Amino acid sequence: MRRAVLALLVTVVAVVLLARYETTPPVTRSPDDPRRPPAIASPEPTPDGSVSALGPALVTPFSAIQVKATLKDGRLVGVETVALSGDGPHTDALNARAEPILREAALRSGSADVDVVSGATSTSEIWIESLRGAIREARRAG
Amino acid sequence: MPVEHVMGMHVRVEGAIDAGRVFGWLRWVDATFSTYRADSEISRLGRGELDDPHPLVREVLARCEALRRETDGYFDARAGGRLDPSGYVKGWAVERAAAFGRGRFLIDAGGDVVLRGAWRVGIRHPHERGRLAAAITLADCAVATSGAYERGPHVVDPHTGRPASGLASVTVVGRDLGTADAYATAAFAAGDPRWVARLAAMAIAGDRVFTTPAWPRSGTRRARRSTRRPSARALAGRS
Repeated sequence: MRRAVLALLVTVVAVVLLARYETTPPVTRSPDDPRRPPAIASPEPTPDGSVSALGPALVTPFSAIQVKATLKDGRLVGVETVALSGDGPHTDALNARAEPILREAALRSGSADVDVVSGATSTSEIWIESLRGAIREARRAG
Repeated sequence: MPVEHVMGMHVRVEGAIDAGRVFGWLRWVDATFSTYRADSEISRLGRGELDDPHPLVREVLARCEALRRETDGYFDARAGGRLDPSGYVKGWAVERAAAFGRGRFLIDAGGDVVLRGAWRVGIRHPHERGRLAAAITLADCAVATSGAYERGPHVVDPHTGRPASGLASVTVVGRDLGTADAYATAAFAAGDPRWVARLAAMAIAGDRVFTTPAWPRSGTRRARRSTRRPSARALAGRS
């Protein structure tokens, strides 16, 4: 598990840098935009001993993504996308495809265990970055 | 791990490779081959203003012409009506960038990948929710995927001038990324999974997934002669 998490961290360090290299400015949204992702909430311990936390809400020129990770005894036991929005039907359709693909991989293995996706998009990479942040927050709280 | 936006895509490197030299090389390639820069050698060649192109430009154009013949015209650097070898240049440049690494590393260029050593590779499913089309361990090879999912169809059938249809995506595993990418593009344009039958390839059409006998199914595969030319005329059914 530790190795898997380490691999995930290594993978997503790239995405932090990737985000910095976006050449198009992020889409600005008005505060009352219903698609605006929620702010990062505090990690929530639960009666069964698991800890959930949200990753950072990451906005690309085309979409906004926020991922919630649940850890129990240091193991990743749940991943949920709590905010995923785009700027049009095309983006929404794209996200609908991109999001569950990585979600399934993360739940099945306890972590995102592919090193690279052929045919990948920045949307899926952003999703991994938010997942990484969520895991980090949950660990900090757990 | 270092990531840079170059040649219109995100390029990520991981492992034992000199990222600075990789990105420096790719920036040179972009300045030389970009069709978006009026002063690039390719743009000047296209306008007939350059008589003595760089040796690497000649190498790329010669390879594009060979690929056009090998693929029965389905890969064509002039498909859009002007000289644009971008479809080959990206894979060619990334493959050459592997010279800046030693041991185990990968270069991910917008979903087209060069691997040294063993890595776990997911193949994106083009339309089935919640699925990767495959997850395989590969070593010492290149993986290229051509598909319609990101920006709509971006491959034009050179024979009709219309957007390619028939296949949702094609993934080719081979020794050389430029060649694998060109064949994936050609197969996608041809729209027929039989076209990749002799390659290590996965083609998806509608709700059907076609994998070829050479497609790696489990364990670690190293690319063999999987980017050799198919008998394109026969496979494409255009004889």
